[in-house]
This record gives sequence, C-alpha cells and structure tokens, in this order.
Amino acid sequence: MNASSYNLRAANTARISRNSVRLGALSAAMAGFILAASPAHADRAEKHFPVQSKPKITVRNSNGRIQVKAWTRNEVLVAWTSASGKSTVETEEAGNRVEVSTRTIDDGVSADESKTDFEITVPVESELNVRTDSGNVTVESVHGDMTFDTVGANLQLSDVDGYMVVKTIDGSLICTRCSGKLEANSISGNVQMIQPTLDSVRVQTSSGNIFFDGSFLSRGIYIMKNFSGTIEVHFASSDSFDVNATSLKGNVVNQASFKPDAHGSPHPASKWGQSLFGTMNEGHAKVELSSFSGTIKILKRD
Amino acid sequence: MQCEQFEQILEQQENGALPTRALAHLEGCGVCRALSADFGAIREITSELGVDGIAPPERVWVCLRNQLEAEGLIHGSRTASPSPGRASRAWWAVLQRPAVAGVFLGLVLAAASTIGYWSNLPHARAHYSEFAPQPQQEVSSVPTADSVFKEEVLTVGNDSIPGLRRQDIAVRDSIRRNLQIVDNFIAICEKSVREQPDNQMAREYLYGAYQQKAELLATATNRSLTGGLQ
Repeated sequence: MNASSYNLRAANTARISRNSVRLGALSAAMAGFILAASPAHADRAEKHFPVQSKPKITVRNSNGRIQVKAWTRNEVLVAWTSASGKSTVETEEAGNRVEVSTRTIDDGVSADESKTDFEITVPVESELNVRTDSGNVTVESVHGDMTFDTVGANLQLSDVDGYMVVKTIDGSLICTRCSGKLEANSISGNVQMIQPTLDSVRVQTSSGNIFFDGSFLSRGIYIMKNFSGTIEVHFASSDSFDVNATSLKGNVVNQASFKPDAHGSPHPASKWGQSLFGTMNEGHAKVELSSFSGTIKILKRD
Repeated sequence: MQCEQFEQILEQQENGALPTRALAHLEGCGVCRALSADFGAIREITSELGVDGIAPPERVWVCLRNQLEAEGLIHGSRTASPSPGRASRAWWAVLQRPAVAGVFLGLVLAAASTIGYWSNLPHARAHYSEFAPQPQQEVSSVPTADSVFKEEVLTVGNDSIPGLRRQDIAVRDSIRRNLQIVDNFIAICEKSVREQPDNQMAREYLYGAYQQKAELLATATNRSLTGGLQ
C-alpha cells in the first residue's frame, strides 16, 4: 500500500466517520422530535377493588372516554390512561362503594390536557353513577340502577338492565337491548332504543329525534316527547297498546289499524294540531307521543 | 269544577290543603294533577334553595319585574322599587302561573348560584363585578333578567380563574348553542300561547321550555364555576 492510497483511505474513513456522526446526530434529533411529539404521559395505570355483590361505582371525569364492562368476579378494576399527565386520578373505596374522579394538577390546564380515558370492569350486578362533560360513555352488560349526567358526551348502553336515568345537554343516547326502566332528558341529543325490553320509558328531547324499535310490554308505559325533531315508533302487529299521539304544529303519520280507545275517557278531537287516539289489540301498554312541531311516525315493523 | 276554576284555587292556595271539590276534580283530571304536581315541585325546589331564608339582592327583583313587564304579564310603575318581602308575597299569585313560574325558577337558580359564587370565590367576585349591574343605577338602565342570565353564563368561563381548571371550550360552546335552542323554543311557545291562549298543550310546552332553561342555566353555572367537573 502506497502513501497516496493510504491517505485516500484515511480521508474516506474520516469522511465516513463524520457522516456517521452527522447521521447519528440527525437520528438522535429525529428520535427526540418523535418522542416530544408523542404523548409523554400516556401511561396506563390500574387499580383493583375487591367488593361484595352489587357495589356502587361513581365516576367523575371531565373529558375522556369511559368504557364500562361487566365480569363475573367480585372485583372492580379501574384502568386509565391520562393524555398529558397533568391530571391525576383519585380513587376511594368504602365498603361496597368505589369512587373514581379525575383532578387537574395545575391551574389553567386545558380540556385536552386533562383528558383521561377509563376502562372499568365491574361485577354484573352493579350500580353506576357517571358524570362527565365530554368524551363518550359506553356501558355493556351491567345489571343495576344507573345515572348518567353529561354535557356533550354520547352514551351507548348495550344489554343493560335496571333503572337508567340519563341527563344530557346535547349528547345522544343509543340504548341497545336495554331492559327495565329508562328516563332520558336531553336538549339537542337524539335518543334511540333498539330492541328494548323496557317496561317504562320517559324520554324527552327538544330538538333531537326519538327512535323506538321494540316491543311494548304488557302494563308498560312509554312516554316520548320532543319539540321539533321526529318521533319514530316501530311496532309489531302482535303488540298490545293504547296510543295517544299529538303534534301541535307537525304531522302524525300512522300505519296501524287502531280501534277506538275503550279503556279511558273518550278523547275529543283536539282543535289544536294533529292527534291520534286508539287501541292496538287489547291495549295492555300505554304509549304517549307528543311533539310541538315535529313529525310523529307510528310504523309497522317489517 | 272546570280546569280554569281549579287553576284559580291552586293559585290562591299558598301552602295549605286544597278544598274537597278541588281534590275531587284533581282525582279525575290528569292535566290538573300534573299542574298541581309541578307547582309542588317548584315549591319544593325553592324551599330547598332557601328562598325564604335568603333575601335576594334588590336588583333581582328589579330584573324580574322588568322581565315580567317586558313580556306584558304585569303592568306597573317603573319608579318605585318594591321591598323584597312585600314583593314576594304580592307576586306569589302571579308566580304560580306556569310560564312565570319557569322564569322565577330560573331566576332563583341563577340567584342562588350567584350568591354561592360570590361567597366562595373572591377572585370571581372581581371578575363578575365587571358586568354586574350596579345597585345605584337608574331603574331604566337596569338590564333585563334574561340579559343578566346570558351575561353571566356566557362570560364566566371566558377567563381562567386562579385555582380552577380552564373551561372546556367544547362544553362552553355546547351550552351556548343549546341556550340558543331553548330560547328559540321559548319564543315560539310564547307566540303560540299569545295567539292561542286556550291551547293547554302550548302552555305546557312553554312551561317545559322554561324548566329546561332553568336546568341548563344551573348546569352552565355549575360547570363554569368549577371550570368543568372536578
């Protein structure tokens, strides 16, 4: 090896070495950027609470998803992920009562920074009390009384059974295969009841729509009221109910062959708006539909 | 007994039991039963809020009177300020009408919230005083009850209050949007009631809309004061 080739090799080695350093520095900078861009505190944490049968679980979370599922263990598992680490989760257990709430660490923490997602697993027989501002709430297969108080959070209940009270401002409610009693009040949220086996329904929304596709149980009472949205009720020909439907400024669309209501006092035709009174089969259930300016549809299920 | 007669008796009956003939009517009339239950609920809520125990600020009565006059529900001199005690007794009969009761309920909730707000949050007091009506102002320049509500609800959450989490913009926007919806419904219902005074259903919707507004304001105030749920 001569001197010139050695020098060339040395120069190449030095260039490669410098490039490696640059590449390494660039990689480190990119890695740092990626790390900085990703949520630094999106760590998952969880707590276990042994309980007896029918515990009462209260969840207060301003922003973030709340997912509640049931299992057969006598234990409540609360798992959460905090978006920024600027909020903490406080838990309290006293006897059969478990309370979970989020609290911000600093003043002036934004809603996004305080976002905390929850996955909560509870015994099948449990009471739930959920308060949240925004972020969706889902509850599956829980049997027990439940209350939900939200501002904009949408609510999905599936295969639940109990006395459910929902209060929301513009969140929507989808209740699939729900049993028991339902009270829901919203201003602009929609309410959907799909394949329900509810024996008491009191649903009110102002500008939202109401959709009911299920059976009217014997002795059940179903009151659905809105201001300007659509109320749509699907019935089977075997259903047995008395109906009283009135829309003050809107229309009542009916596909049922009702007999005159033979149970209550006679209903004189209202001089205001469109009304419909009648009985389907024996009239075991009571259905009251009311709207100010919306359309009421009473439709046969296919 | 007709429903109108029952309503008159109900309006005159402050706390005592109803006469037998009114009770008989109540048994057979679902509408009057609902009306009676609603009045009971309003009484219960107002007593829970300690209305009898707290003397509301003078401006609340002035705002209430302005609102009632603006809606043509009462007519009176604008120069004299009624004393709270006398006024509460004299207006009780008026307040028992569903529509007015809704306004009153809203006022009570807003007043109670404001009282709690002032007593608990010194920082907030300074913030609120920027837009709160001054007691020494001329009666004619006192804002209406409605504008006081809106001012309070729509501005309290704008600035971050030391010690409280900043309010969620989505929540604030949601409350504003829904307040507009309810206000719109109230206006439509009021128009219907004015055009069709005998329309019981329109009156019920108006009452329901006022109830919704009162609940929305209570929620809004609660969320604003805490910067959201804490």
